[in-house]
Amino acid sequence: MTEAANMDIRQQQDSNGRISIDDTVLIEQYRHGDSDALERLIIKYQNRIYNVILKICADPNDAAELTQETFVKIIENLSKFEGRSSFYTWAFRIAVNLTLNYCQRTAKLSLRSLDAEDEQHDSQTRRVLKDFLSDDSSPDPVAVAQNKELYEIAVKALMKLDDAQRTVIVLRDIEGMNYARIAEVLKIQLGTVRSRLSRARSKLRDIMEAI
Amino acid sequence: MDISDQRIDELLNSYIDGELDAGQQTEAEQLIAHDEKIAQRLRQLQKCKILLGSLPIDEAPAEILENVKASLAGSTRIDEQTLIFDQQIGTRYLLVRKVLSAAAMIALAAVLSAVIYPILAPQTVPEGPVAVEDGRLPEEVDVTAPRASVVVASRFSGRLELKTSARASVDAFIKRAIADNGLSDSITQTHRQDRRIYSLSCSREDLSLLLAEIGYIWPRLDKATLFVDTEIFGQQVAIEAVTTEQITEIVNQNNDQKYIDLARDFAVLNDMTERLPGREILSAIEGGSYSLAPQWLVPKPILTGKREAIRKSAGQGRDKEKVRLTIVVD
Repeated sequence: MTEAANMDIRQQQDSNGRISIDDTVLIEQYRHGDSDALERLIIKYQNRIYNVILKICADPNDAAELTQETFVKIIENLSKFEGRSSFYTWAFRIAVNLTLNYCQRTAKLSLRSLDAEDEQHDSQTRRVLKDFLSDDSSPDPVAVAQNKELYEIAVKALMKLDDAQRTVIVLRDIEGMNYARIAEVLKIQLGTVRSRLSRARSKLRDIMEAI
Repeated sequence: MDISDQRIDELLNSYIDGELDAGQQTEAEQLIAHDEKIAQRLRQLQKCKILLGSLPIDEAPAEILENVKASLAGSTRIDEQTLIFDQQIGTRYLLVRKVLSAAAMIALAAVLSAVIYPILAPQTVPEGPVAVEDGRLPEEVDVTAPRASVVVASRFSGRLELKTSARASVDAFIKRAIADNGLSDSITQTHRQDRRIYSLSCSREDLSLLLAEIGYIWPRLDKATLFVDTEIFGQQVAIEAVTTEQITEIVNQNNDQKYIDLARDFAVLNDMTERLPGREILSAIEGGSYSLAPQWLVPKPILTGKREAIRKSAGQGRDKEKVRLTIVVD
């Protein structure tokens, strides 16, 4: 399977337009008074929105609260949703904006200071990371997925990126959005997505090497 | 990393992500095939991407759906109230009579309290012995005048305790009101046991706006008590069944002693109102009977352009003297 083909299945669903059609139907049903449609919409997106928020803000309690706030805002503004962008894009734009505002306001990203926590990495973890980074062969996704020690380091390294870089990398590598959709969600130029993502990955690599 | 390296990195990242057009794809493949350093860099970037892509997906807590519903209940309730108001207009005239009776009783109670309280309230007397000459008190000693020297409170400070069986929706409503009024920065939120505590420090104007908004949850409360800090440390005036209008009036007193006096007056007044014989009518109207109460709740005002102006004036007052109110939802 090529890297491009290995992209998140959710991304493929987007490009096929299946998610958009379903969402449009659910929104219409809700507008005609079907409250079950609203529940289905929430259930459909709650894990993905929560997951993205959690990877940006790092705190499960904050992430749960922001996810809830995101859905309240979505529902309150659903009557104004005109469908210029897809519901999926619109919903994630709300989620990301709320999360970034909240993180800036409450300075919850103290996790970025990892100096003390670096000490907690035992020699085994360091060795695993070193092997992973120095191995010059093509990476095997299955082997990486089994390497649980790497997860913790990856999340901490992610938190050392600045908000903008972390957001773009989460939307691309974790949520699986394409560049055009990221640009739409963040309301930035496609070229900016490209350069920001490139710098973010480069910096992430540097951070992990420093651990 | 120079500009050329940055450009190559961008090209490689876009290659990894399948975001290149045909021409750029060929260019990237040639670079990778002919330059081992670039091929190595490609593998490094791929590793980062694969590592992040393989992070486990965290599932949202199960209660999110219920919490969203509870949050929305606060706003939809107001719509429902308007609907009920339209549907049951026939009961309006009967209720008007009851409300007028209740208002008359409250007014009577207010007058009575104004008369009785100064009589019953403890008089302030000077501490310690007072020198008396020829059986007369010295002219400078006024036993009836309150001691101005004991007033040390410099601004309003108090605690509002709200008890409710619908804690989730009340909590969500307050949270929304705080956000709507732009007070998130002025509030510290904490959980303690099952309580939600909001510690607010803001201007009088901001607090008045917030109180006006959270007044809509009053029918959902089982109990609302305001504890006002007094001039004596550790002693508070407790006002049972307090209303947001009363709190606003207390907070807006300019003189330090005045808000404490007003708090005491309201404490007496509310206590007397509780004991009045027509209490059952009051409770029927004010929330004891939900079949009657919603018709008489003032609908939440619709936001218009003027709200911005109100907010600006509140914001301008933010730098003025700040008041402190801790809201405890239990």
